[in-house]
Amino acid sequence: MIDSFLLVFLLVGLPYVAVLGCIAGSIWRFRSARFSYSALSSQFLEDKSLVLGSLPWHLGIFVVLAGHAVAFLIPRVWAGLVSNPGFLWTVEAIGLAASVLALIGLTTLLVRRLTSGRVQAVTTPIDLTVLALLLAQVVLGILVAVQHSFGAAWATGTVSPYLWSLATLRPNPALVSDLPPLVQAHMALAWVLVLLIPFSRLVHIFSIPIAYLWRAPQLVVWANPRRFQGVEAAVLVPARRYFLRGVAAISVGGALLAAGTAGTFGRFFFGPRPSEKEQTKLDQEKLTRLRQTQREKELTLERARQRYIKIAKVKDLDTKKGRYFIDYEMRAALAFLGDDGLPLFISAKCTHLGCTVASDLDAQGRVLCPCHVSYFDIKTGMPNAGAPAKDPLPHIAWVLMDAKGDVVMRRGADGRTHGDLAPDQAALCDVYIAKREESV
Amino acid sequence: MGTTLEPRSKRVARFVRERFPIEKLDAQSMIVKKEVPLHKMSWAYYMGGLALFFLLVQIVTGLLLLFYYQPTVSDAHASVATISEHISGGAWIRNLHAWSASAMILTVIVHLFTTFAMKAFAAPRELTWVSGMSLALLVFAFGFTGYLLPWNQIAVNATKVGLQSVEAIGQYLPGELARWPIYVRETIQGEPSVGQATLSRFFAIHVIVLPLLTVGALGVHLLQVQIHGMSRGVDALKVKTEKFFPFFVIKDLSVWGVAFFVVAVVAMCLPFDAFLPYPLLEPYNPLGSTPDGIKPEWYFFFVYYPLELLPYWAVIAGSTVVGGALFLAPWIFARTTRRTLTVLAVAGALYFVVITLFGHAIYEALKGGTP
Repeated sequence: MIDSFLLVFLLVGLPYVAVLGCIAGSIWRFRSARFSYSALSSQFLEDKSLVLGSLPWHLGIFVVLAGHAVAFLIPRVWAGLVSNPGFLWTVEAIGLAASVLALIGLTTLLVRRLTSGRVQAVTTPIDLTVLALLLAQVVLGILVAVQHSFGAAWATGTVSPYLWSLATLRPNPALVSDLPPLVQAHMALAWVLVLLIPFSRLVHIFSIPIAYLWRAPQLVVWANPRRFQGVEAAVLVPARRYFLRGVAAISVGGALLAAGTAGTFGRFFFGPRPSEKEQTKLDQEKLTRLRQTQREKELTLERARQRYIKIAKVKDLDTKKGRYFIDYEMRAALAFLGDDGLPLFISAKCTHLGCTVASDLDAQGRVLCPCHVSYFDIKTGMPNAGAPAKDPLPHIAWVLMDAKGDVVMRRGADGRTHGDLAPDQAALCDVYIAKREESV
Repeated sequence: MGTTLEPRSKRVARFVRERFPIEKLDAQSMIVKKEVPLHKMSWAYYMGGLALFFLLVQIVTGLLLLFYYQPTVSDAHASVATISEHISGGAWIRNLHAWSASAMILTVIVHLFTTFAMKAFAAPRELTWVSGMSLALLVFAFGFTGYLLPWNQIAVNATKVGLQSVEAIGQYLPGELARWPIYVRETIQGEPSVGQATLSRFFAIHVIVLPLLTVGALGVHLLQVQIHGMSRGVDALKVKTEKFFPFFVIKDLSVWGVAFFVVAVVAMCLPFDAFLPYPLLEPYNPLGSTPDGIKPEWYFFFVYYPLELLPYWAVIAGSTVVGGALFLAPWIFARTTRRTLTVLAVAGALYFVVITLFGHAIYEALKGGTP
């Protein structure tokens, strides 16, 4: 009972207390001590290990927090992205690398706070508390990442909806109550840190000195003549050294890149070495493609040699769903069964830009060209008013042959039918297209 | 006409002499003495170099793809699938080629807008501008021809539609002339419909013809840039400068390094197909219906959506005027102020961004719904 009560407090009570406390505290601090609304700089007192600590820490924690924020702000997009294993692995690797970077920086900062006499002169208890809590939080985060890896993926179904439930004032702790204690501890400590923001140097999160990034550099020097000589000497560093350093950096980077990828790209030239199973699949696909090419060649040859080409049995044609076939000009065409029980052949090549129209009739007896949305009435071939296509789809001539191979009926491209046959008799026939000089 | 006017032959000779000053054709003037202005638009000086870098990536990855790609109707698609699935590092190389192509086109467009706004085409840099415009056209031609090579359903159909729109010009031509666009299209295709001949020549154009033309145009472009230096770019009378070598060169290379890192990581994590609803795994089928809503690549949206929404003649007239004005900018805008040019460039960039990002939404709003 105590356990579950504590859990509910940590998962629901603490977040609200933390956020409200953070807001109220920030307002209080801004009103009571506006000029302390940032972090007290100790760069004057010690700057060497500050750079070695502060830079990695801020870089690392920024990347880590950005990753956390993205998963919270766009959970659906994020879930889609991390479903790709390559992306997930990359995110995990970047996250882990950044948190290790943050850990190194934070440790350096803590050691600096504890060992530099000058810095200690301006260190308050809350500074040390915050540093220790941050260190604990980063360690917890790394442990979570190592022990329960792929947090980028599982958090989208647990932590993200939980945070949204808090943000929308419908808290649902059940979403995260079954997570491992390690994860819950990481979450609880996060709320404590949020609460501490206005009461510590963390308040500088709200007054980020972003302008530092592009303002002109301000070189602070003591009013000591020897210092000025040093600055001038630095300006005179020969351009050659600058160039050599740059070239060296680029070469080392390139060499590292080449070394790291040598295995993969050496094998690029080794060629595909698929397993036997994969090879079978590849061969199968290749055969399918060759057959298709062969089929196209056969179609061309057939059209060159044959006076008539069989399209279908009349009884296999449908009134609603067209069958694609290739006409004598090697263009796509559609075969329907007309309302009169006779075949209806129409070109499937859109008269607008030559796309192939779809084969299903809509309720008004029209086919759709999907490219620019023209509807063609198959009876008349006419496009709908206002369609991008202006010209009608032409009808295609056909002939009917009975079982003995005698032509019993034919229709010209102009739509005129020659011969007379009852629909039930026509259904027994085969329908052909005829070479141009044969069609009337 | 006053007596001060030189005869035409002398004027031509002077024009050439000023664009290719022989006394400046040495490393001393072209590299050692070159200075790059420092001001708030200085970032734009990196765009051309960045485009060059992406071109180098394209050349290297393209050559690698060439080792395994087979330009035949029956094998093209399967060979691309083999590169993606069975060659070590192949998927990355192919993604890199696709992403870097997009990045190159984007950089070229930004380069075009910024150099226009900075009046970088003013004398004596006319040839830099004209060769740059030619390079921009070549880049789009690379995009159009390369798109067909995987020979998948979407690529073949998009190419068909793209080529077919050439034919639409026939409706404005009288009599027998009206059939000429058809001959033009079939000449480009190499046969009555898009097929093996089209694939073969698009391959040849993409892999041999365009690269050779690019090397030529790029040679002129870079030579002119090095001879005449970067244009000052802003109206301020006095601008600070830094030495081109080594400071700007090293910074330029650093930008290249960052760009490579970004594209390489993106290519490793996101297949280019992620932005297109059609995966590669759908080989072209001449008997199937055209897939729904085929669209060209994003970098053609700026001309594709106007073609969809406006009368054909309006688009042709508009693009002829804009294209002509761009090519002849050094002479047309010779007396225009940088302020005006900047306004024009911002308007153009705004149009490009809006039509690229929201073109589909605009199209749906205006033409959506079933009639």
